[in-house]
Amino acid sequence: MADSWIIETVALRKTYDGVEALRGLDLQVPSGSIYGFLGRNGAGKTTTLKILLGIAHPTAGDARVFGLDAHSPQSSEEIRRRTGFVSEEKDLYGFMTVEDMIRFTARFFPGWRSDLEQRYLRKFELPRDRKIKALSRGMRTKLALLLALCRGAELLMLDEPTSGLDPAIAEEVLQALIGHVANEEMTVFFSSHQIAEVDQIADRIAIVDRGRVVLAGALDDLRENFRRIRVVFEGDAPSAELRAPGIARVQRKGRVLTLLSSGGTDRLVDEARALNPLSIDVIPVTLKEIFLETVSPSTSLGAGGEE
Amino acid sequence: MLWYKAWLETRWRFFIGLGLLLCSAAAAVATYPQVVKLLPLVPTDVGGEIGRQIREAAELSRSYRGYIWSNWFRQNLLQMATLFAILLGTAGVLSQSGGALFTLSLPVSRNRLLGTRAAMGLGELFAIAFLPTLLIPLLSPTVGESYSIAQALVHSTCLFVTASLFFMLAFLLSTVFSDPWRPLLITLGVAFALALFDFVFRFETFSVYRAMSGEMWFRHGRLPWEALLASAALSAALYAGAVRNLARRDF
Repeated sequence: MADSWIIETVALRKTYDGVEALRGLDLQVPSGSIYGFLGRNGAGKTTTLKILLGIAHPTAGDARVFGLDAHSPQSSEEIRRRTGFVSEEKDLYGFMTVEDMIRFTARFFPGWRSDLEQRYLRKFELPRDRKIKALSRGMRTKLALLLALCRGAELLMLDEPTSGLDPAIAEEVLQALIGHVANEEMTVFFSSHQIAEVDQIADRIAIVDRGRVVLAGALDDLRENFRRIRVVFEGDAPSAELRAPGIARVQRKGRVLTLLSSGGTDRLVDEARALNPLSIDVIPVTLKEIFLETVSPSTSLGAGGEE
Repeated sequence: MLWYKAWLETRWRFFIGLGLLLCSAAAAVATYPQVVKLLPLVPTDVGGEIGRQIREAAELSRSYRGYIWSNWFRQNLLQMATLFAILLGTAGVLSQSGGALFTLSLPVSRNRLLGTRAAMGLGELFAIAFLPTLLIPLLSPTVGESYSIAQALVHSTCLFVTASLFFMLAFLLSTVFSDPWRPLLITLGVAFALALFDFVFRFETFSVYRAMSGEMWFRHGRLPWEALLASAALSAALYAGAVRNLARRDF
């Protein structure tokens, strides 16, 4: 496995009581990236994160973080020493105060950043003496983030970091994360089903669907390469087969033929032009459209789905 | 810091158990003079197993040592220590305490998590087994009696070693089930079944509760080595089962 990947999984599988949560997940997260792991609920995002941290065991395949085997108890401990993690539930110890929780966590991490601790305590306005069970979900999320950020970690793994938060607090959390990453050398791997959130902070993404990565790459490249091509004909759209590579989806509706291209748009336009249409429009697509087209049950990017 | 967390999570069970047993030990000593006065009133004509037990308890209470063993070591301490051993064992390794994923994301092995929790629980059980019992030699002069500290220590040792069995069973089950209720109910069920078994069949050598009360020491001045070693070995096996179970479990 290449050293440049801070996280790498190969053919990762996980089965829970006969149900396949991961079905051969291949993933490469480059060092220094902010990597969005996008998928619907139940797509396998949390399971992947748990396997990477040694919280769940893979059924088959390989998972490595920092080049270390995530399945080995010894190297898993080392992975956790170098990783900050925020779970979706933000389930901290309700019986501890904020101060207790910080002191408790700091003892496990020799590189604990007291300067960041003070900064985020002030920034998030966390009440040191309050019991965690008395904190709002927003406050708990901020505390969980503080505990992850102050570890001096090389890698942050966040599972749905803004889930259940109102938009104002979600924005505050995301801004804190962006600000932190801008100042510290680290990789962020976060799962989400909120496209706007991923669009806002990620520089690379993987879209996971039904336990497999169906699309991955730099967000700018995906935005650049994906195009919707709308071809209008005088009569009904012809059923001629298009051969240009990069056709992700074909839809015919009356006089209109709509193509989704994942690359090679120019060749596709040339091919469409040969069908003598009235007009051809090339329209940029949003991440939301890419996501919806990618995880839609009736399509498969690799197969060039047609309706 | 794992010790601190384990302590915070179990301290109320421990304090309640210790407090109740300290009160019970003090009450056992304080009521001895009244028991002696009431001994002549104990009916001697009750038949069956109940009658036999009443007569035996009355006979034992004629001596202070017999009274303490019969009332404290064989009844109050035995029953309450069994209950609190189970409650401490079901205090939860990970899932019941909240923050299980947070704990598992810390750079510590599952063995260490489990070992810390088991050691804390056993430490608390040790205190529950010894501290209230040591109160008896301390308070006995207040009712004009004396009780040997050595006797108290022997009985407490028997109790601690055998009660650890119930602790470890509950501990193992708490690595199997996510909720605290099933480990609690199953272990209580096992404890009750063993008591019933004991009552019906009256086994001498293989009785957990007889070993726990130190009956052999009281009656014959000999430690129940076989039962103590078997309990310790079984506890170790249950702990090994818990380690194995937690290592392969997904959260």
